[in-house]
Amino acid sequence: MTGSDRLRLASLGLHPDRVRKLLVDWGNARAVLRAVERGQVEVSAAVRDRLDVDAAAAARAAGASVLLREELPDALASLPDAPDLLYLRGVLSSLPGVAIVGSRRATSYGLRLARLFGRAVAEAGWPVVSGLARGIDGAAHIGCLDGGGVGLAVLGCGVDVAYPPEHRDLATRLLDGGGAVLSEYAPGARPESWRFPPRNRIISGLSSVVVVVEASVKGGALITAGRALEQGRLVLAVPGDVNRDTSRGCNLLIRDGAHPVLDVDDLLTSLTFVLGLPPHPAGAGDGDDPLLQLVAGGGMTLEALAIALGCSASETIRRVSILEATGAVSTEGGVVSAR
Amino acid sequence: MFASVSSTALVGVDTRPVQVEVHAGQSTKSSFSIVGLPDTAVREARERVLSALASSGFKVPEGRITVNLSPADLPKAGSAYDLPIALATLVATGQVGAAATRVVALGELALNGAVRSVRGGLGAAMVARRMSLPCILAPDAAGEAGRVPDSDVRGAADLVEAVGVARGTCPGTVLEPSPVTRPDRIADLADVRGQVVARRALEVAAAGGHHLLMSGPPGAGKTMLAAALPSVLPPLTEEEALEVALVWGAAGLARAGSHIPPFRSPHHTATVAAMVGGGSGLPSPGEVSTAHRGVLFIDELGEVPSRLLNALRQPIEDGHITIARRGHSVRFPSAFQLVAATNPCPCGFENDRLVGCRCTETAKERYRSRFSGPFLDRFDMRVRVERLDLDAMTGPPGESSAEVKERVLAARTIQVERGRLNRLLARRDLDRQSYTAGATRLLASAVDRFQLTARGWDRVRRVARTVSDLAGRDDIDQDAVAEALAYRKTL
Repeated sequence: MTGSDRLRLASLGLHPDRVRKLLVDWGNARAVLRAVERGQVEVSAAVRDRLDVDAAAAARAAGASVLLREELPDALASLPDAPDLLYLRGVLSSLPGVAIVGSRRATSYGLRLARLFGRAVAEAGWPVVSGLARGIDGAAHIGCLDGGGVGLAVLGCGVDVAYPPEHRDLATRLLDGGGAVLSEYAPGARPESWRFPPRNRIISGLSSVVVVVEASVKGGALITAGRALEQGRLVLAVPGDVNRDTSRGCNLLIRDGAHPVLDVDDLLTSLTFVLGLPPHPAGAGDGDDPLLQLVAGGGMTLEALAIALGCSASETIRRVSILEATGAVSTEGGVVSAR
Repeated sequence: MFASVSSTALVGVDTRPVQVEVHAGQSTKSSFSIVGLPDTAVREARERVLSALASSGFKVPEGRITVNLSPADLPKAGSAYDLPIALATLVATGQVGAAATRVVALGELALNGAVRSVRGGLGAAMVARRMSLPCILAPDAAGEAGRVPDSDVRGAADLVEAVGVARGTCPGTVLEPSPVTRPDRIADLADVRGQVVARRALEVAAAGGHHLLMSGPPGAGKTMLAAALPSVLPPLTEEEALEVALVWGAAGLARAGSHIPPFRSPHHTATVAAMVGGGSGLPSPGEVSTAHRGVLFIDELGEVPSRLLNALRQPIEDGHITIARRGHSVRFPSAFQLVAATNPCPCGFENDRLVGCRCTETAKERYRSRFSGPFLDRFDMRVRVERLDLDAMTGPPGESSAEVKERVLAARTIQVERGRLNRLLARRDLDRQSYTAGATRLLASAVDRFQLTARGWDRVRRVARTVSDLAGRDDIDQDAVAEALAYRKTL
């Protein structure tokens, strides 16, 4: 029952770095727990008290399911400092995400852009990943909901803890929209300041691209950007006023090689380079495209398709080409077939 | 006595003036020698000239005759100097007045004194125009060279008439070029049934001058489509037609002032020299040059030996070919549009609806490797040509070439205003075009999917530019990129 041992270990509320070190030293979760029980590992009284908590019941009570490291998306699970497990409310999308992060003390400029970007990414069909914090994070999540998209919020506290309190509704709306609230901290874990920096590696870990909208030089957003770069993610930054504190972090990133984002189209183009064409390109009807219905019954040549659809050759060529780019059809030796 | 008559020499497609100088000296012993880098044919002029003088009723010169072809370092070849040598000899020996040297003459003499046409008449007419002298050629050569504007070209059927023309006492004879030298009747798109996709690709290729590769089973109509390409291309301007005629002239081919872009289809067994030019003696332009400002069609690309394909690379990329010779090199133009056709596999029926393919995977691999990689990358566009089913064959004929040509012309007009043909747009020109957001995004997504190189990326953008020009759009939209990408697919 390693799963339940790992869950018990997670529920102790140790710092993620310490958990990882203990697992390396003792080999597995059961051995770590035994060592803690025997006093071979020194822990605080509060941690020792939690040894007796029924971790599985607590998770159930919080409405959270548990995802072990091996069940996480590869991009996250393959990181050397990946969490041993995550608590999850809602559904974790299998698509690569786009993180939109930034300062809690954002300006109206940053808030407006974060919301616009969140919406554009959502409309394109990619999950929006952020930290549910005040400021940029919250605006990005709201934008995601505007666009009817899937939002992932990675918390620095337990998934059942409403923090910040004014974002309690926002979390609920994300869950209603098919998104998820995630944390590596056990239900009930308080939003203590040491919990937030490790959280950022999960935000970038779940994302292929990280967009920093506004960041001061000493903010968490720059930590996220740093982790993203270590993880080999594309980092984009929104340039701003060189005199404004909340833009200095972004401007610094750009000076050091991050790609500047100038507007929504620019953002989507950069995303396309990494993620390919959006899963839901604007204006493409899914199942009702007569072309898709035609090729669903078996392969057809472009020539035959043009005749069957009654449209010009160029029109047919273009439609097939765009469907090919989104992965809906493939062409082999001149024959178009559904994928 | 001394006399000098102007003539010309071909260097590549350029024509340079040559002075034919004759000195008649006193000597008890008769001699006739030619100096000034002559080849064998020029040296043999002695026999032809002396016989022609005798049979035309002139006196065969006695004493020492020296002929110098100047400038001496320019290689001269062929029998073209017979006529100027004969004229200068007649003046030098005092049989004809010195006024007869005020001409540019080019032609071979038959032993009976008749004048025969030689390569380079058109160029001679242009040199004569520059020197403000009349140009004397054989009557049929004069017919073609007479198309040089503002030129004074006279034809002479024999040496006696040539003397008359040179002295200004006789108008000369001009023959219209014989009809066999006219280009073949060109195919019309109305003859092509069905093939809507390939027809569209041909239209785009014509509009932007893009190199096109067609792949499909035998009998699908690839050759017919290619042959119809000149019929939808814009006609050559007067200047271009003359340029093409000059190249053809250098190859010894007449091109009777036609404004239809040339269409050349060398067989895949052609030699490298036949394809790119060269040959022994005076270098001749090859197929890549006679296709200048027109179409070079290579059928059965999979059968073409790789040394031939390699030889094609320079002319395709540079628009000209340089042929080195001892002591000098010549340059022929080769700005052609390349169209090639191939079967998808050795038997030709891969993926065919009715006929099964009999090729092994190894055989197919070997076949494709022939024209894969760098050579395949030269084509801006690739398209599948499918075999027609019965419906299409009995159906109504497609649009005629005239209708398609109208759209091609409109797209070409836009390109003329932009400054150059879309095929020739450089990367900075392409960067300067405006792309819609959707277009940029689709392009970005293609980088991974097609493993586009920087060169491939440019080719897609060029074709997209053409598709937009055909649609009359200033910017390049997603549709244009989508269509351009479809022509990028491997076959």
